[in-house]
Amino acid sequence: MSVLATVLLIAFAPLVQGAMKRLRARLQRRPGPAVIQPYRDLVKLWRKDALLPEGASVLTVLAPGIVLGVALAFAAVVPIAAGAPAAIDVVALVFLLAVGRFVLSLAALDTRSAFAGMAASREMTFGSLVEPTLLVALLGGAALGGGTGIAGLQHIPLGLAGMLAFAAFFLVLLSETARVPIDNQETHYELTMIHEGLVLEYAGWQLALLQFAAYLQQLSWLFLAALLLPGDTWWAHALWVIAIAVAITIVETAWAKVRLFDVPQLLTTAFVLAATSIGLRLLGGAE
Amino acid sequence: MTLRIVGVAATIAVALLAGWLAMLSLIHGDVALPGLSATLPMLRLDYGVSLLAVPFLALLAFLGIAVALWSGRRGAPLDTVLIAAFTASMLVVLVARSVTSFFLAWEAMSLVSAFLVVAHHEQRGVRRAAFVYLGIAQTGALCVLAALVLLALHAGSPAFAAIARAAPALAPGLRTTVFVLALVGFGSKAGLMPLHFWLPLAHPVAPANASAMLSGAMLKVALYGLCLVVFALAAPGPANWGIALVAIGTFSSVGGVLYALVDHDLKRLLAYHSVENVGIIVIGLGVAQLGLASGNAPLAALALTAAFFHTINHGLFKGLLFLGAGTVSETEGTVDLERLGGLWGHLVWTAPLFLIGCAAITGLPPFNGFASEWLTFQSLIAGWPAGTAAVKLVLLASVAGLALTGGLAAACFVKVFGVVFLGRSRREAPARAPVRERFDLSALGLAVLAALCTLFGLVPMLAVAPLNHVAAAIAGAVPIPMPALPVLPATLILLPLAGALLAALLAAQRGVRRVPTWTCGSPVTPAAQYTATAFSKPLRTIFAFALLPERQRVYEFGPSRWFARRIRYRTESRYLIDEAARYFSAAVLRLARRTRIVQSGSLRLYLAYALAALVLTVALTR
Repeated sequence: MSVLATVLLIAFAPLVQGAMKRLRARLQRRPGPAVIQPYRDLVKLWRKDALLPEGASVLTVLAPGIVLGVALAFAAVVPIAAGAPAAIDVVALVFLLAVGRFVLSLAALDTRSAFAGMAASREMTFGSLVEPTLLVALLGGAALGGGTGIAGLQHIPLGLAGMLAFAAFFLVLLSETARVPIDNQETHYELTMIHEGLVLEYAGWQLALLQFAAYLQQLSWLFLAALLLPGDTWWAHALWVIAIAVAITIVETAWAKVRLFDVPQLLTTAFVLAATSIGLRLLGGAE
Repeated sequence: MTLRIVGVAATIAVALLAGWLAMLSLIHGDVALPGLSATLPMLRLDYGVSLLAVPFLALLAFLGIAVALWSGRRGAPLDTVLIAAFTASMLVVLVARSVTSFFLAWEAMSLVSAFLVVAHHEQRGVRRAAFVYLGIAQTGALCVLAALVLLALHAGSPAFAAIARAAPALAPGLRTTVFVLALVGFGSKAGLMPLHFWLPLAHPVAPANASAMLSGAMLKVALYGLCLVVFALAAPGPANWGIALVAIGTFSSVGGVLYALVDHDLKRLLAYHSVENVGIIVIGLGVAQLGLASGNAPLAALALTAAFFHTINHGLFKGLLFLGAGTVSETEGTVDLERLGGLWGHLVWTAPLFLIGCAAITGLPPFNGFASEWLTFQSLIAGWPAGTAAVKLVLLASVAGLALTGGLAAACFVKVFGVVFLGRSRREAPARAPVRERFDLSALGLAVLAALCTLFGLVPMLAVAPLNHVAAAIAGAVPIPMPALPVLPATLILLPLAGALLAALLAAQRGVRRVPTWTCGSPVTPAAQYTATAFSKPLRTIFAFALLPERQRVYEFGPSRWFARRIRYRTESRYLIDEAARYFSAAVLRLARRTRIVQSGSLRLYLAYALAALVLTVALTR
């Protein structure tokens, strides 16, 4: 069952990216690329040669594989329906995702490109600000539900506290999936990009691995977010995933990218929301 | 050469002895060793191995062997002898079972380590660092002595066994006084914020192998002292001690990593990370105290296990990192991040081993730092349901602080490894062509530590099972079933590894074309690489309220005043705590000048002092 779920995540990850891109284009009154464009891009990239900077170490050669492995591990543990056994707890998940961030940032510094270095710096900066929010938002449920297991998240009643926790998580989601108020996937304008900057020096099949890993990680994040919302069946979760994806796209259309040094404010806001959610639960006693 | 062989052999012998004593105690429980009961009962010297010392002895054994191996090839010969003496003095602190024997060994440890710090005494900064170190060590030692003597007076005996027996009858005021004194005394030695300021001064100037021992082992010996007072000699303490420890630990871990981020001297940066990791250990100790005070023995055992495990782990990866920094310092002649780069190309052994250390200290799976940080998180969360609102608040802040620490540490070590080992050298012209490193004794020392970091990460039960046995004995719980370990299912560790393998296979099969760095078409020079200062810029700006960075830009103009020929950029953080410490030490020095009148330099007067001290001692201890 869980293998089937992972296979489905792998199969649909580029589709979700394509659909979100298409929807955003339509919201902006553009025709936009076809929904299956990400598959075409991946195939095209896969056929091309990989290019790496002269003198880049073996770490840079291995990095795309490690990042893909982390994304696969994430996809393998995120439950797509209530009651699905989660083989990992929230803390371990956060640290596992840090592995991908760490390796990719090192590879970026290894390429000697100043833009990649800049992106690495920003990725690690925002990553360190996201982690506390993520843990507090997720543990807010777990601390009262008992244990740190992902499964504990599903039994949180969606009161005001739950909604605040979800709002905090949503901001984290925008950051982790490289979306507009924080990052911008559409541009290669070097001063704004974070994720695109990290993979700046990669090309061909290596870039294909990295892009696919990003798609897969994005879909896994969406499913993780859906766990915070009510509903026990797999189709309820699937509906929530679609709803969150639509919400992200609307946010991307309606908001402008914020200044780099305003991003911490956004992320701190998320932290305060998550902490308030726990405070509310404390006041309310054991719900 | 013989000096080096003697030092290395002696260090290994002491390390093996420490390991043997740890095994002995693990099997037989508390073991008494032959002691010396002097004619004066208050000055008796007792020795023995207690279960509490086991994690620290084990760490001394692992680290001692690795440091000895590294010193077999690098470092000054005389240092190796001092390190042997230093290791021995720490061993004696750990097996001391009376106030007198403990304090004698403690002072020996401080003095020998001060000799190590002052090794390069011809530089002015070194002497200053050693002076600050001795000052804080002696201030701390006075607090330690006061705490222990108060306990001994109460118990009527300096033997730890007697003190522990009498501890439950301590008056609350006295108990609190002892705790505060111990916290200041041992905390300053352990590098807890805000008494950490000697660490970043002493470490950059001490030889690398001495730094590895200081940071990896001596800070832990200080924590052993704290554990000894809190969990044995002054036990049972109230829950407030636990809250205080968790709060101080969190403050220390976040503060340490913040200062590490903006520092660009490799060894000083590692020293700040020691402040951070000691903080993480103290969080575990604080939760254990909370558990004990609330009668929740399993929680105490879990938290103690986490603290002990992180103690050992920090010794392993910090030893690895300091020794690696020593290799860098010897081969490159500098540890300044702004001048290094591209060492991966020729330090073919040190670089990958150092990377393992970086991943371990960051808490990345599958290395040991992850396992112990995970346990610390588990203990913080396990303490949640039973706590009062105040406790819950502190625990929540601690969870968030620990998560922030993890993220910032990751950022810091991406900076360190990316800038030092990857990319290309930032120096204008390298002095000589780099020599490819060969696998020698030094690399073997690093490899031993890296192997242990990996082993304890992949199979944490190897360390957790015995540590849990020790922790349960101290907490008074039957060994509790630990949360399911290993925490990461094997498949999850295998997936990234499989991915790496896939990438390597694909690269071998399809080939990777090597081209000049693209970087959007701008010219690529070694100087155009991102620097450590640039890398930490966003975090420096975000945490400006704590770091108070001051920057200075100097423009040099050529013929035109519109085009600067050269821009110098300097940025420096203000260290409020260090500044406060400087005011304090200035006040102490003024006081010292006043008291100098008793120092006349006359031998007769000094003999009279000695006689008076002897008479006083005899009179007081009768």
